[in-house]
Amino acid sequence: MPIISIKDVSKLYGFGDATTVALDEVSIDVEAGEFVAVMGPSGSGKSTLMNIIGLLDRPTHGEYMLSNRYVSKLRSNQRAKMRRDKIGFVFQSFNLLPKLTVLDNVALPLMYRGVSTVKRLQRAEDVLERVGLKERQYFMPKALSGGQVQRAAIARALVGDPQIIIADEPTGNLDSAASLIVMELLSELHRTGNTIIMVTHNPEITRYADRVVYMHDGCIVHDQRTPVGEVPALAKKAMYVYPRKTEEDDLAGVSAMMEFRPEKSAIKKRKNKVRSKKRSSTKTKRSSNA
Amino acid sequence: MRSGNFKVAYKTIRESRWQSSLTMFGIVVGIVSVVTIVSLGQGIKRQIIGEIKSVGSDLITVRAGKGIKRDANGNIQKINPDFVYGFGSGTLNDRDVAIVEGSAGVKDATPIRLLNGSAIANGREYVDGFVLGTNPSLPNLVQQKVEYGSYFTTGETSRQVAVIGKTVAEQLFQENVPLGQVVTIRGEDYIVRGVFEKFTGNPLGQGIDLNQAIFVPAPTLKEVAGTAAPVVRVLARPQNPNDAARLASQISAAIQESHGGQDDTTVLLQSENLQVTSSVLDKLTGFIAAIAAISLVVGGIGIMNIMLVSVSERTREIGVRKAVGATNRQIRNQFMAEAIVLSVLGGVIGIAASFVVNFVIKVTTDVAPVITWPIVLIAAFVSVSVGIIFGTIPAIKGARKDPIEALRIGN
Repeated sequence: MPIISIKDVSKLYGFGDATTVALDEVSIDVEAGEFVAVMGPSGSGKSTLMNIIGLLDRPTHGEYMLSNRYVSKLRSNQRAKMRRDKIGFVFQSFNLLPKLTVLDNVALPLMYRGVSTVKRLQRAEDVLERVGLKERQYFMPKALSGGQVQRAAIARALVGDPQIIIADEPTGNLDSAASLIVMELLSELHRTGNTIIMVTHNPEITRYADRVVYMHDGCIVHDQRTPVGEVPALAKKAMYVYPRKTEEDDLAGVSAMMEFRPEKSAIKKRKNKVRSKKRSSTKTKRSSNA
Repeated sequence: MRSGNFKVAYKTIRESRWQSSLTMFGIVVGIVSVVTIVSLGQGIKRQIIGEIKSVGSDLITVRAGKGIKRDANGNIQKINPDFVYGFGSGTLNDRDVAIVEGSAGVKDATPIRLLNGSAIANGREYVDGFVLGTNPSLPNLVQQKVEYGSYFTTGETSRQVAVIGKTVAEQLFQENVPLGQVVTIRGEDYIVRGVFEKFTGNPLGQGIDLNQAIFVPAPTLKEVAGTAAPVVRVLARPQNPNDAARLASQISAAIQESHGGQDDTTVLLQSENLQVTSSVLDKLTGFIAAIAAISLVVGGIGIMNIMLVSVSERTREIGVRKAVGATNRQIRNQFMAEAIVLSVLGGVIGIAASFVVNFVIKVTTDVAPVITWPIVLIAAFVSVSVGIIFGTIPAIKGARKDPIEALRIGN
C-alpha cells in the first residue's frame, strides 16, 4: 500500500477566462521509504504538487490518500493537525524563526502537539545530535552557516517522526560543500527508512534519489526509478530541454532576452518533443493500469 | 490558551522594546487619567461629606424653589442637579420665616437674606462677594466660630454692623483683623465687628463660598434693601436632634399651607443634603471619567495598530508555524496573548503610576484623592478587556493567512 496515493489531482487558480491550470490531472503513488526527486522548470507545478502533498493546499479536483486516509477534502484545521503529525518540511530558504534559538526552533512542531517543554527540548536535543549540531543548540540561527541552518531545519522536520519529509530545493541556497553535507544527511535519513520527496533544479543531486519525476506544464511527463548514486541521463538533459529562468537571466536583463529570441523556434521544437514524450508516458501508464 | 503563549508573547514584546513601550504608554495614560479622576472625585466627595456632616446632622434647611421629588414615604426620588449649586431664586417670605421660627420644637432659626452687589471700603471696591442678612443665631446653626471679635447679638439686630468672611478681610481690607473699619454697602456704612474663621464647608449649598460673604443683621438688610434682598434660605435646628425628620415635614406642610397649598419650597435634612450633593458629584465624576476613558479607547487602537503591524511583519513566521502544524486557533491565541500581555503590562504600570500621581496630588495640593479597590479592579479589568477587544481583529487576521502565501512573502 503506497503511503501517498494521488489520483487525477488538478489545481486551478482563478476562474473564467483567467483560469490557470497549475496541476492537470496528476496521478502518482509513493511507497514508504522512497526518495523521490521532482524536477521541472519554474511554473511546471512542482511546488503546487508539494503544497498539496504537504497538506498546505487543497486540490481543486481529484483524490489524495495519505497513509490510507482521504485527505483532499479536509478543513484547514484538520490539515494542520495532519501536517503536524505526518509531515516534515525542509525549505530552500531554511525558514527557521530568527528570534528563537536553534533548539527552540527544532522543538517548535512539538509545541503544537502539546508536548511538555522539558520533553520537547529533550527530543529536540536528541535530533540535533543526530544532525551533528548538538553543540550549537543554544545559538541563534543567524550565528550559523547556511549548511548548519539547513541541518537544523532538517532536524525540525524530523523532530515529530513524520512519515514524509518534503524538501523544496533544500540545497538551492547553499554552496556545493554545504549542499554535499545536507544531501548526505538526507541520504542517511533515506537509508534509515524515511520517505523523502524533494524538489530540485540541480540534476547532480538526483543521484541521491531512487526515483526521479519530471514535471512540465502541470503534468508528470516522466517517472523513472534509478539506482541510488547515479544521475539519470534525462535529468541532465532536462536542464537544457526545459527553458529555465535563473538569477543570471534576471541580471543579464533585456540583452539576454534579445539573445534568447532567435532560438524561439528551437524551443517550440523542444516543446513538441516533450509533448510526444508525455503522450507516450501516459500511454504506458494506461496500459499498466489495464 | 496555554501559559506558554504568554511566555512567548512576553519575550516577543521585550524584543521590540521601543514599539511595545510606546504602545503601552497609551494604555498607561488612559488608566492613570481614569483612576486619578475617579479617585479625585472620591476624595472631593469624602471631603464635602465631611464638611456637611460637621455642620451637624440635625440642621434643617428650607430652600426657595422646588429641586427634588419625593415618593410617598418622603424619600428622595429625583434630584435636579442645577438645584445643588448656588442660591436659587426666592419664593420664601417673612411669613415663612415666622412659620419656621414659630414651629414647636425649633430651638434656633434664622432667615438668610441675600443681597448681591459690591461693597466698598477705603475706596476699594469688592465685587466677588455678596451680603447675607441673618439672625444672631447663625454661628450656632452652622457651627462656625468667629475668629476675631464676635457675631452681633440680639440687641444689635437693627444696627449697621457686619461680620465678614476671611476672603473679604484679605481682599477688601487687605489685612487680617479689620475690626472697627467701615464697609459701605448701597451707600450705607457698616462697622466691621467680627471676622469668621475660614469656612471649610458650604452649609448653604455647593458653590457658595461663605468666606466671600459679608454678614449683617437681617432686619437691617431688609430695611436698607427691601425686596432686593429676598429670603433664600431658612435654617433651623430642633431642640431634640432625633426630632429633626418630623420637624422638617411639619415645617414643609406648614409652609405649603401658607403658600395656598402650592409645594414650591424644599425642606431638607442635612443627611438629605448629603445625598443630594453626593449624587450630583457622582454624576459629574462619572461624566469626566467617561471622557478620560476615551484615551483608553485611543490606547486600545494603538495596541490594535501595533498588532496589525506585527502580524504583517511576521507573515513569514506565521507561514512557518503553520507549515509545522500550528492550527489557526494556535496562531490566533499567540497574537491574542501578545495583545493581552501588552495591555495588562500597561494596566499594571498605569495602576502603579496612578498611586504615584495620587501621592503627588496629596502632597502638593489640599485635595486628598482616594484610590479605592473597586477603581483598581475596574482598571485591571478594563486593561485586559482592551487587550482582548483590540487584539482580536489582528489575531484573526494573522490566523487566517494562507500558509503558502505567507511562506512566499519575503522569499
